[in-house]
Amino acid sequence: MNAAAPRPRVAALALAVGLVLADSSVVVLALPEIYRELDTSVAGVTWVLISFNLVMALAAVPAALVARRVGPGRAASVGLAIFAGAGLACGVSDHLSTLIVARCVQALGGALAVTAALELLPATVGSERRATLVWASAGATGAALGPAVGGLLTELVSWQSIFLIQIPISLAAAVPILAVARHEQATGIIEPELRRTGKPHLWANLALAMVSAAIAAALFLLVLLLIEGWRLSPIEAAIVVSVMPLAALVGSRLGNYVESARARAAAGAIFVSGGLGGLALLPSAEVAVTVPPQILVGLGLSLVLSALTETALGGRAPQAIHGGWTISARHAGVVLGLLALTPIFTHEIAEQRKDAINAGTAVILDSPVEPLLKIKLTQKVTDRLDEEKGKVPTIGPAFEPLPDDPRERAETIQLREELQDQLNRGATHAFSSSFALAALLGLLALIPIALSRRIEL
Amino acid sequence: MTRARLLVVGSIVLSLALVGIYLAAGGASYAPEKSQNPCKPRPWTNPDSLQEIAQQISLSALDGAACQLGVTRETLARALTTEEARDRFAKRYGIDDAKLAEAIQAGLVRAVDDAENAGALSPLIAGPLRGFVEDVPLDQAIELVKGGSSLVGTFRNFLGPAGDLLEQLLP
Repeated sequence: MNAAAPRPRVAALALAVGLVLADSSVVVLALPEIYRELDTSVAGVTWVLISFNLVMALAAVPAALVARRVGPGRAASVGLAIFAGAGLACGVSDHLSTLIVARCVQALGGALAVTAALELLPATVGSERRATLVWASAGATGAALGPAVGGLLTELVSWQSIFLIQIPISLAAAVPILAVARHEQATGIIEPELRRTGKPHLWANLALAMVSAAIAAALFLLVLLLIEGWRLSPIEAAIVVSVMPLAALVGSRLGNYVESARARAAAGAIFVSGGLGGLALLPSAEVAVTVPPQILVGLGLSLVLSALTETALGGRAPQAIHGGWTISARHAGVVLGLLALTPIFTHEIAEQRKDAINAGTAVILDSPVEPLLKIKLTQKVTDRLDEEKGKVPTIGPAFEPLPDDPRERAETIQLREELQDQLNRGATHAFSSSFALAALLGLLALIPIALSRRIEL
Repeated sequence: MTRARLLVVGSIVLSLALVGIYLAAGGASYAPEKSQNPCKPRPWTNPDSLQEIAQQISLSALDGAACQLGVTRETLARALTTEEARDRFAKRYGIDDAKLAEAIQAGLVRAVDDAENAGALSPLIAGPLRGFVEDVPLDQAIELVKGGSSLVGTFRNFLGPAGDLLEQLLP
C-alpha cells in the first residue's frame, strides 16, 4: 500500500538524499567567508567540512540499523527534522566550535535520512535496482551541485543562508515521507530482490573512498585556489565551478549507454584523475584553463560514484545497511583526503607566498623606476602583505596613486602587472602538489575497481 | 569495440591529451621565479646615465650585503624599507646593527668594485669612493643603498669643490 503518491514521494526521497549529500560539499565556497568572519585558520575552517563528513562516515551504518529497527519512514522524518534543526544552529553560530558541533549533529540527522531513504525507495520505485539508481544519482547530483549553490548563496545572501535555506527544503522533503511513517507497517517490510550477502562489498567501497577523497580535493582545492589564490568572489567562483555539475549531468547520460558498471567506474576514475592532473599543471592563472579539467572531473564523478554505488549495493540486502557502507566509505574518503592534503597545501601556500613575495620584490628591484620609488613601492607592497597575513594579497592598492608622468605611469603599470603575475604564479603553484596527489589517489582507485570485476550488475 | 571499451579508451585519451597540452603550455614551470644567489655577480648593462649607474650600484650593494648576511637580496631590500622592518629582520635573523652596518659597507665596496670592473666608474673615482663607503655610518649606508644616486651626491659633497670633476669623470 502506498502512503503517498509515488511520484512526490520519489521526488521527496531524492531531494532528501541530494540535500544531505550536497551538504558534504555545500560549504566549500563559503569556507573563505567563514574563515574571515569567525577569525580562524585555514586548518581550523576545514573542520567545518571534515566534521560533517567524519560523523557521516561513522554514523551511516549505525543509522541504517536504527532506520530498520524503528521503521525507515519514521527514521527518515526524524533524520530530516534533526538535519533541519542542526541547520538552524549552524546558521546562527557565531563561533567556529559551535558551528562544528552543529555540523556534527546535522551529519547524524543526515545519515539517518539518507540510509532510511534507501530503505524506502525500492517500495516506492518498484525495484531495488531502480531504487539504487535514483539514490546514487541523487547523491552524485547533490555532491556536484553543492559547491555552486553554496557559492551563490554566500555571495547573494551570506554563508549562514546556506544552512538556513536547508530548513524549508528538509521540511518539504519530510512531508511526503511523514505519510509513509504513518503507514510504516505497510511500507516497512521490503522484499529483497536478489541474494542476501551480508558482508559489504569491500573493493567497491574502498574504491568509493579513494575516488571520493580525490573528488573532495578537486572541489575544495579548486574553490580555495579561485577565491583565496585568484581573488574571485564566491559568486564568480560558483559560476566557474558550476562547470563540474553540468559535466556531471552529461556524464550520467553517457553512463546510461554503458551496461558495465566496472567500465563506467574505471572510466570515471580515469576522468577524475585526468582532470586533477590538468589542475596540477595549470599553465596560467586564468579561469578558462580550469574549464577542461573541470569537465573531466565532472564527467568522471558522475560515472564513478554511481557505478561504484550500484556495484556496492547490487545483489545485497538489506539495502539500507549496504547503502550505509557506501555513505560511510564516501565520507571517510572525503575526510582522509582533506586530512592528508590540508597540511600539504597549507605548507605549500606558505612556501609559495614566500617565493612569490621574493620574486615580486625582485621585479621591483630590477625595474627601471627610480630607486626611491622602488623602496617606496617595496614598502607599500610589504605593508599589503602584512595586512593580508597568510593569504595571497592583491597588490593593486600598493601602486595607487599612479604617477602623473606618462613614462613613469607606464613603467609602474607594467611593474604592477609583473608583480601580480609572480603572485598568481605562487598562488597557482601552491596547489599543484595537492592536485597531483589527489590525481594519484584517483588512479590508485583503479586497483579496487579492477578487483571488483567478479560482481557485475 | 564495445561501448564499455570505448568509454575507457576515451577517458584515457582525453585525460592524456589534457595533461599533455598543459605540459606543453608550460604548466610544469608556472611558478614564481626563484631568487638569485646574491653572492653571484649580476651582469652590468651599459649605463647611459648617472641614474642608471646609481641604480646598478644600489642593486650591487644590496647583493653584496645580502651575500655577507646569508639572506636573499629581496629579503634585505624589504628589511631596509622602514625601521620596524629592520627591527623585525634583526630579530628574525639575529643580526645586530654593527653586523648590518658591516655587511652594508661590504656591499657598497663590492658595488664600487663591480662598477669599476664593468668600466662604469673610473679608477680615479672608485678608489676614494671605496674609502668613503668603508667608514660610512649605518643609517647613511642604508640611505645610500636605498638610493644609489644619493651615493654619488653624498660623495660629491664629501669631495667638496673637487666634486665638480665627478660628472666629467663618469662615463
